[in-house]
Amino acid sequence: MTRSSLAAQVTASRMWRSFFRHGMPDNPFDRSLAMTSNIFFHLHSVKVSRSSLRWSYSFGLGILSAILFGALVWTGILLMFYYVPSIERAYPTMKELQLVVPLGQFTRNMHRWSAHAMVLLVILHMARVFYTGAYKSPREFNWIIGVVLLLLTLGASFTGYLLPWDQLAYWAITVGTNIASYAPLAGPTMREMLLGGSEVGQSALLRFYTLHIAVLPMLIALLVALHIWRVRKDGGLAVNDRE
Amino acid sequence: MATHAPVSDEIFPKHSTKTYALAELVRGESAQVGKGPEDTVFAFPIVLLWEGVLLLGATLAIFLFSLLKQAPLEEIANPFVTTDPAKAPWYFIGLQELLEHMHPLLAGVIIPGVLVVFLILLPYLDHARADVGVWFGSARGKRVVTGTAVYTALMMIAYIVLDNAFSLRELLRDTAPQWIAQGVLPGGILALIVALPALVLRLQNATRREVMLALFTVMFVSAIVFTVSGFLFRGPGFKLYVPWQMPGGYNPWDGL
Repeated sequence: MTRSSLAAQVTASRMWRSFFRHGMPDNPFDRSLAMTSNIFFHLHSVKVSRSSLRWSYSFGLGILSAILFGALVWTGILLMFYYVPSIERAYPTMKELQLVVPLGQFTRNMHRWSAHAMVLLVILHMARVFYTGAYKSPREFNWIIGVVLLLLTLGASFTGYLLPWDQLAYWAITVGTNIASYAPLAGPTMREMLLGGSEVGQSALLRFYTLHIAVLPMLIALLVALHIWRVRKDGGLAVNDRE
Repeated sequence: MATHAPVSDEIFPKHSTKTYALAELVRGESAQVGKGPEDTVFAFPIVLLWEGVLLLGATLAIFLFSLLKQAPLEEIANPFVTTDPAKAPWYFIGLQELLEHMHPLLAGVIIPGVLVVFLILLPYLDHARADVGVWFGSARGKRVVTGTAVYTALMMIAYIVLDNAFSLRELLRDTAPQWIAQGVLPGGILALIVALPALVLRLQNATRREVMLALFTVMFVSAIVFTVSGFLFRGPGFKLYVPWQMPGGYNPWDGL
């Protein structure tokens, strides 16, 4: 049996055809179907303009932010296998990750540097969108989703900052949450809700942990999907609307 | 055989003086309406290949960086021993720097609040679609951005250095109430720094887009100046030092 006839037999099989509802994507029709019949690809347009593919227009900052988010979920889940969100166990588990767990320190490095890089890239992405005028009609709503995503990204990074439970984490969160308490009326209440008490302690650690591993990543994932889908719905990158 | 006309011509005999095109009426607008001959390619596979390249490239970069630099881990948290300096994470350190110069209500709540509202309202403040999809809109827009960026950087550095040398808080401690020395005065100075480029542009009949370019640039560059000042130039006691002459062996990069 030749290789091409084997491939033909596999792609013609009942199982293959139940997975992929399009033929070989070497023609316009199947190339369209390849994008529209896949839940991940369908967030993209079927066709894109050549100018929107130009590197010097977007620098790929949005996609890079999403990729870093993926890397953070991946390394974050690995860290979750070891980390315990208790003020007695958190710091010792960090030490275990560093000294005992195979590639533990490396995984933690990946997580931390990806987090810093993601915050930086999301900010740069926002600046790119602004300076190319890409926030204007019909993309106003997607710009607002973007602003919310920036705030959620800052929140995700900030809540993760406390988890190592070392001096750096403790005092950064103390300083950071003190800023929130200056808001008139609601400030002190907001700070207490966030910390689960008047000081950074066990309740704060547990709340930050829950926000960090569940609430914020889920919100970010949901809004990123909406954000990318909306790019397609609004006519692709704004460079297509150039007069 | 060859003398016969093609089948299609028998079904639909073409008029010899007219030209024909296949057309369809559609409701509403699509992305390509009014764009002339389209210059598009199928997203499959080029976009997916690009994303694959970025995925591998970004992962490789983080991978290599993680081999070279270790994530910091200091002593176990101790509520009774304050670190000196105690700094917020880098993306909030601009606010911490701002707190050094004015009332916490202004630095911690009003200014960040105004910035977030400004960002959300931006598409509704400036909706002319003339230069969508072009970096800085035009050559003039680019000059506006460069000019404002240089202006903001100089003004904000001067503000930090001057307020550090002749602190309003200390100078007016006995002569003016706190809400003036720490609220109205620094707030007014900052508002003036922000409003000046917008006023100058208005006098030159600049478009709304150019004013927005200036305002966003003031915000963006100020954020950078305050972040760099807080992160790199603040040492023990949150006092200003040059980064390479920090007392007590303090290295700002250790707190990343």
